[in-house]
Amino acid sequence: MSGFAPSGDPIIPDYGEVSDCVTNNDFFCTDWFVQQWPSVFWPALLDHILMTVIAIVVGFAIAFTAALVAHRRKWLTAPFSMVTTFLYTLPPLALFQLLVPITGLSLLTVEIALVAFTLVLLFRGVLSGLLAVPDDVKRAARGMGLSSQQVLWRVEMPLAMPSIISGLRIATVLTVSIATIAAFVVDAGLGAPILKAISSPFNTQFIGAGALAVLLAFLLDGILALTGRALTPWTKASR
Amino acid sequence: MTDAKNTSTIVFDRATKIYPGSDAPALDGLSIEVRAGELVCLVGPSGGGKTTALQLVNRLVDLTSGDIRIGDRSITDIPAIELRRTIGYAIQQSGLFPHMTVIDNIGIVPSVLGWEKTRVRDRAHELLELVGLTPVPEWADRYPSQLSGGQQQRVGIARALAADPPVMLMDEPFGALDPITRTTVQDEFLHVQRTVGKTTLFVTHDIDEAIKMGDRIAILKPGGLLAQFDTPEKLLTEPADDFVAEFLGQERGLKRLSLYTLSDLDDLASADATTGRAPWPALPADTTVRNALSLAAAHGAEGVRVLGEDGSPIAAAPLSRLVHLQSEESV
Amino acid sequence: MDAFPKAFPFMVDNVGLLLEKTGEHLWLSLVALVVSAVIAVPLGLWLGHVHKGEFLAVSITNIGRALPSLALIAILIGLVGIGFLNVLIALILLAFPPMLSYTFVAIDSVDRDLTRAARGMGLTPMQVLFRTEIPLGLPMIVSGIRTATVLVVSSATLATVAGGGGLGDIILNQVAYGMEGVVAAALWVAVLSILADQLIGLLGRLLSPRGVRHLTAQADAVPV
Repeated sequence: MSGFAPSGDPIIPDYGEVSDCVTNNDFFCTDWFVQQWPSVFWPALLDHILMTVIAIVVGFAIAFTAALVAHRRKWLTAPFSMVTTFLYTLPPLALFQLLVPITGLSLLTVEIALVAFTLVLLFRGVLSGLLAVPDDVKRAARGMGLSSQQVLWRVEMPLAMPSIISGLRIATVLTVSIATIAAFVVDAGLGAPILKAISSPFNTQFIGAGALAVLLAFLLDGILALTGRALTPWTKASR
Repeated sequence: MTDAKNTSTIVFDRATKIYPGSDAPALDGLSIEVRAGELVCLVGPSGGGKTTALQLVNRLVDLTSGDIRIGDRSITDIPAIELRRTIGYAIQQSGLFPHMTVIDNIGIVPSVLGWEKTRVRDRAHELLELVGLTPVPEWADRYPSQLSGGQQQRVGIARALAADPPVMLMDEPFGALDPITRTTVQDEFLHVQRTVGKTTLFVTHDIDEAIKMGDRIAILKPGGLLAQFDTPEKLLTEPADDFVAEFLGQERGLKRLSLYTLSDLDDLASADATTGRAPWPALPADTTVRNALSLAAAHGAEGVRVLGEDGSPIAAAPLSRLVHLQSEESV
Repeated sequence: MDAFPKAFPFMVDNVGLLLEKTGEHLWLSLVALVVSAVIAVPLGLWLGHVHKGEFLAVSITNIGRALPSLALIAILIGLVGIGFLNVLIALILLAFPPMLSYTFVAIDSVDRDLTRAARGMGLTPMQVLFRTEIPLGLPMIVSGIRTATVLVVSSATLATVAGGGGLGDIILNQVAYGMEGVVAAALWVAVLSILADQLIGLLGRLLSPRGVRHLTAQADAVPV
């Protein structure tokens, strides 16, 4: 099989007695899961959150700046778009492996790859939000004497918010998902327990970690959605 | 309100604009003077340069040659952005910021100019009352998406007035409204403009709107040339050339009559001096002469009667008076 | 760092191996995409046509996006065991959401005035679907297939974890093939992914009726 997935028995600490659930390798053993929480799942979850947040923050910083620049100089839109789409099309695992010779088996490798994936989604989110601002609003703003900076930050940015949040949400969910593959590079994140248990499949370990990843994705998505709604009170208003 | 005192003239001095890539001028040597407190309408067919003329004033478009002065200062004396903050600007789609409440929309220029928050808020409240959006608390915190087209335009006007600018530019502001709303908003705007007395340049493609709103009207023809600049009365009775006559249309005789009301007719006979078989319709004194004529025709009557304040007929106006306006002795 | 220059001789020396693995990779991807498309696209067409099931489509998309492929494959090991079938099921499940949701949105968002005009002219619902909605929705449908393709080719790299073959066998086996082998295979799969994406894009543009082609520029291989 692969050279990366460690083989061996799943580590089932045996405190004297193990429940039937574990011995039978049922679908999900809550007791074992709870037991393993502090030593396996919780640290993995924390690492995963950290990896995701770093990737999104850095990715957003880069994409946001790029979008602002492309908004000013339209001709840059196509090149930026192509580069970021290219990065997005690369299979994550391949990108990880291509980076390893350069940046080693480190968190840096993971983050570079994760950031690369978020770029196109965030770039599009910001730029299309800015482009969707109605022309008459921009004309009125200019005509009233707002400077270009003022028009950008007081008018265009707030109106671009829904699109930006949308991009952030999709990027975050995808990052959580892809970060599981990081386990092939560093022993961190929710992918690690999954990998470790692959050769001797112990269901609870996979399902626990997998379910946590899905729940994390939904949680972060929900937080962003609520933040978005708080930032855009006018979208709720109805006649 | 400080509005009544803060108003300036607008002078176009051979203002010309030629857009790059085109040989013909969009505006060709326009020279008119708008008096302080006056409402001048710019009308004409498309290609006449009326929107260009407007946009030259707040430098959304730059002059190719000539000058425009507000008060005694050329618009090129100060940077464009500063200039725009001293000019009220209202456009057709209102261009209200969807993400700001009504109050915040109105207060945008004052707050950009650095007014304190309480002063901005008070000013916004004052303006909401001026444009008839009362009680103020009901409207202040709404978002533009919660307003009808007419209400949005009123907020747009309040916003243009917010920083108490000496002049106002309006670019077909009522064009997107349905006819009934448009009439209401026109009347309200006339009332506001008379109250605050601000010099206003009003672009419209609708000659009837121009006649109704304008103290004077400037008609621009294709090629950006000024065809005539006069009061509505003068335009309708003495069109300068064939273009103007055609632009005003064959109904200009009737249009002229809409400038007058029954109360403008003096020396009328008493209410029982009616002729013909059909009874003469009784109309309030503020009915326009044109509408009176129209109603007489509808009833097949030879004139109309004028109602007094108590609601009873006090005078009779025969068709000849409706057409001639002045009585025979004064002709 | 010297893995990169060494990767090219590796490619030359091991062309047969690489091609074999590429073949496995493509076959797996293709089967998964076709099976998924056969279910997802007609379903999406129907739901979009009757304008129902938006909530379902959106929910499935969200869950699909949040589901890590690695976890999916791992779970399936417990259920299905290792091998081709395991990975195939995982890939079908991954390809399904974008194909369904893009197809749904493509048909659902066709201007109702147009479909009303078509019905008013006497076209049957099927004719409305095939002559109006599908041609207009084609760019977005292709976009969904494109997204799914990239996702599947990409996730198929993990097939190795469940014994499914493919280029992942080399990428994750530094012990056997050395860093240069890993880099070589990684480059191959990257190129493969990009080629697949561009190919679908090209097919989409060729299939679109001319009047609709400008819409293709907007719909891309990026989830919206």
